[in-house]
Amino acid sequence: MCGIAGSMYKRNGAQAQVGKALISMLDGCQHRGPDSTGFALYHETHPGEMRLRFFVGTREEADAAIEKIHAKLAEHRAHILKEERAGTSYSVNVHFDGDVQKLSYDMERAAKLFSIGESLDIVKDLGGAHDVDDAYHVRDFHGTHGIGHVRLATESDVTADASHPFWATGFSDVAIVHNGQITNYYKMRRRLEKRGFAFNTSNDSELIAVYLADKLSQGCTLEQALKDSIEDLDGTFSFLVSTKDEIGFAKDHLAAKPMVMVETDDLIAIASEEVSLNRLFPGQALNTTEPPPGTYRTWRRSI
Amino acid sequence: MASIDLAQLPVREANELLRRYGEDGEDVEILNPDARHHIGVGLVHPIQVRIRGSAGYFCAGLTDGPRFEVDANVGWGLADNMLKGSIVVNGNAGAIAGVAIRGAEVVVKGNIGSRAGQVMKEGTLLCCGNANFMAGYMMYGGRIVILGESGAQVGQDMTGGTIYVGGKVNSLGTDAQLIDLPAAERDDLLAFLDRYNISYSGSFQKIVNAGKKLRYPRTEPRVRQGPFFMASGSQSGYWNPKVQEDIFIRSRIGRYRIRGYGASRALPHLTDIAFRKDLSGIQLDRDVVAKVNLKTEVGGRTGAVPLRLSMPVTIAPMSYGALSKSTKIALAIASRLSGVSENTGEGGMSDEQRREADQIIYQCLSGRLGWNIHDMRRANGLEIYISQGAKPGLGGQLMAKKVTKEIARIRGIPEGIDLRSPSRHPDVLGADDLVIKVEEFREATSYRIPVSVKLGAGRVRDDIKIAYKDGFDFVELDGLQGSTGAASHEVLEYVGIPTLAAIQEAMDALAELGATGKMPILLMGGIKDGVDAAKAIALGAHAVALGTGAIIAGGCIACLQCHVGQCVVGIATQDPEHEKRYNVPVEAQNIHRYLESVRWQLAAITHALGHADVHQLSRDDLVALTPEAAAITRLPYAPELREQAPYRKAS
Repeated sequence: MCGIAGSMYKRNGAQAQVGKALISMLDGCQHRGPDSTGFALYHETHPGEMRLRFFVGTREEADAAIEKIHAKLAEHRAHILKEERAGTSYSVNVHFDGDVQKLSYDMERAAKLFSIGESLDIVKDLGGAHDVDDAYHVRDFHGTHGIGHVRLATESDVTADASHPFWATGFSDVAIVHNGQITNYYKMRRRLEKRGFAFNTSNDSELIAVYLADKLSQGCTLEQALKDSIEDLDGTFSFLVSTKDEIGFAKDHLAAKPMVMVETDDLIAIASEEVSLNRLFPGQALNTTEPPPGTYRTWRRSI
Repeated sequence: MASIDLAQLPVREANELLRRYGEDGEDVEILNPDARHHIGVGLVHPIQVRIRGSAGYFCAGLTDGPRFEVDANVGWGLADNMLKGSIVVNGNAGAIAGVAIRGAEVVVKGNIGSRAGQVMKEGTLLCCGNANFMAGYMMYGGRIVILGESGAQVGQDMTGGTIYVGGKVNSLGTDAQLIDLPAAERDDLLAFLDRYNISYSGSFQKIVNAGKKLRYPRTEPRVRQGPFFMASGSQSGYWNPKVQEDIFIRSRIGRYRIRGYGASRALPHLTDIAFRKDLSGIQLDRDVVAKVNLKTEVGGRTGAVPLRLSMPVTIAPMSYGALSKSTKIALAIASRLSGVSENTGEGGMSDEQRREADQIIYQCLSGRLGWNIHDMRRANGLEIYISQGAKPGLGGQLMAKKVTKEIARIRGIPEGIDLRSPSRHPDVLGADDLVIKVEEFREATSYRIPVSVKLGAGRVRDDIKIAYKDGFDFVELDGLQGSTGAASHEVLEYVGIPTLAAIQEAMDALAELGATGKMPILLMGGIKDGVDAAKAIALGAHAVALGTGAIIAGGCIACLQCHVGQCVVGIATQDPEHEKRYNVPVEAQNIHRYLESVRWQLAAITHALGHADVHQLSRDDLVALTPEAAAITRLPYAPELREQAPYRKAS
């Protein structure tokens, strides 16, 4: 139960103020989810460099978790280039050229992993968009694209690690924000688990992320993966997915969850409600469209 | 023309200002709307409102009379429940445009989202572009005109009304059919278009209900084995007179059995809880009512005017429709005499009911039957029904015999159908939509009236947390033992969790949120007297609602035939010949005396347990008599008390 938002800038390249844009869009629909807020942001990549972000909590609990993370990273011969603590999380840039899936499954034993990617960084915590921004300085983030989420917890806990966006556990750089409920969750999860994938939460949004990332890793285009998802996933959903270079959406056949978008020469912006889009264009009447039921679309960054 | 700038003023203040301009008859333009929600909600004056930009959810919702024009787009729920008046949208509209309108003219120049015109009753919804999935879903009357394509499953489960499609009909919904369009009707449509300066020269296809699903093919044969209580709680869950009756009836109709009343199988209940202290001296004090404070306020959590009850008791929601008007009036009178609140149930509020009850809660259901801004404003509490204990997850059922001309008029539906209300609200598909809906109600009533939610006990823990986060003033929580006027046997018996488990889960949920005591719970579902009520309050309920008990006090013989519509005592009927048997003043007094007996029981127990205020009752006053009740409530298990004095026992 929530609000979602995403944007991709077409022109300013890595210098677009994606962080600021997502903060205003999510603040605009915070009424849909006051419990927690999260962002999936895509940084510029550096060859051979991976970024990991963990949930570690605070104080001694955090110190202990970080110690474990250091040990695990050493075990995997991931060489630490940069590290930082903010809010309840710890992020680390490492030099790593091994198997990402193996690394991520094993790192989960040290601490709750929010994201791994050459580019992806997931920042999420309790509170509203501005609360999370205050702790993590999302406003300073520049890049081409990102997605975000405000959450009203209905079934799982109100904790930072149960917040969105969800990273596709085991696959680098794929993230998802989702509004709705996947009703064939267990069936789909068992199917993926049989193929060796691990799940870190019991949240249906993590399932969508892993489902899509699996398709991508098999050589599927994002567009094709989204098309398949509408047939394979049962329930109500409007979701946004992002990768290093693309952003896309899919909407179920029942059209039970809202989604509107606006496209200009400069950007594409998608959100649960038009009120979020208008935050980017105050005082302007926008030429928005509501994607019909059972549709999907993707955009690729041009720079 | 006056101006309101939403870049300067929040919507709440803007709407208040708008209503003042409405009283003065001055037209208004709204600047910088920026797709904000609830613009114009609750306006009941025939002024013009021009919105210079896009509006969000529920634009012009719960209104009567104004004429709106929106320069750009609108979000979900355009013109929700608009009575008279009109709105022209120059851009696109989101999902459920024209939901539940009752006479309004709604014109969208662009496209409309899915489920347009859901549960509309009267008026016109015109879309100049394309419609989307399930336009006209569950509509009861009025007309939808689509100049472009219809979208898939147009007219899905429509009961009444007409849909005209200029472009392609992508696919027809269940029980919808295409029929010929008479020339006069086409002229009517063109005249309507002309009034809004829309030129159109194409043809129309006409879609109406095919009439295959409006009535059950066979109705339940009537049997009178004995009253409900011969079956309920029977020691044999396998074979008993009720099981025999169920099989007999199903052998005649070949489907699920519909009947009145609630779950009849034995379930853990408040009767499995006892008071820890010996109350054997309880009868001695005749003035005990004067010695204990029973006064209870409900619903002031967000600053609204709370219900002020003389004791922690209310009348449970029961509709005019399921019950006769006479019964509803008797309940209203009794509620006034005893200083408690009445509840409209599903079918709208009658003037007589409003007049007789001092305090009344107005219930809003998925079909929006009898729902309107004027009755909202004269209510003392509003209630969004999500589900009820007797049939969680389903809407109400009112069999054809009871859907008389009068009932059909109030509810805005065709006469003589087997009315099966929608199972979910058009505009509440999740907690996130619900919060916007609650805000719409608050806007429409100037934040003056408490807004509550009624939940059938299922996933209580999750639901209570959602209710708290969505800012409800209180919750009406209804357990599996709740009764109803008509529902299927399977759902009555097997769906939901018992009332005892429901209150425990609700308390746990609030405790987990750190919100113990912050959101009152009105518990209902098999609460039959003041003894049950005292136990419910000790377990954490703030008050209780009595339904079945009040009806029985007022003459019900519990024959289970409520759905038939020919109630022999004039309660569950709309037939004037049957209703004549109901003596309103006498039954009002009977119900009043019953309520007073509940008051005495509550006072006597509170006093005997050593408290001065009924709200001092707590879990410390209780023990569980059965292992099941102990497991559910985590109260101390005291089997040794099972055989002791009756007041110490259940009741």
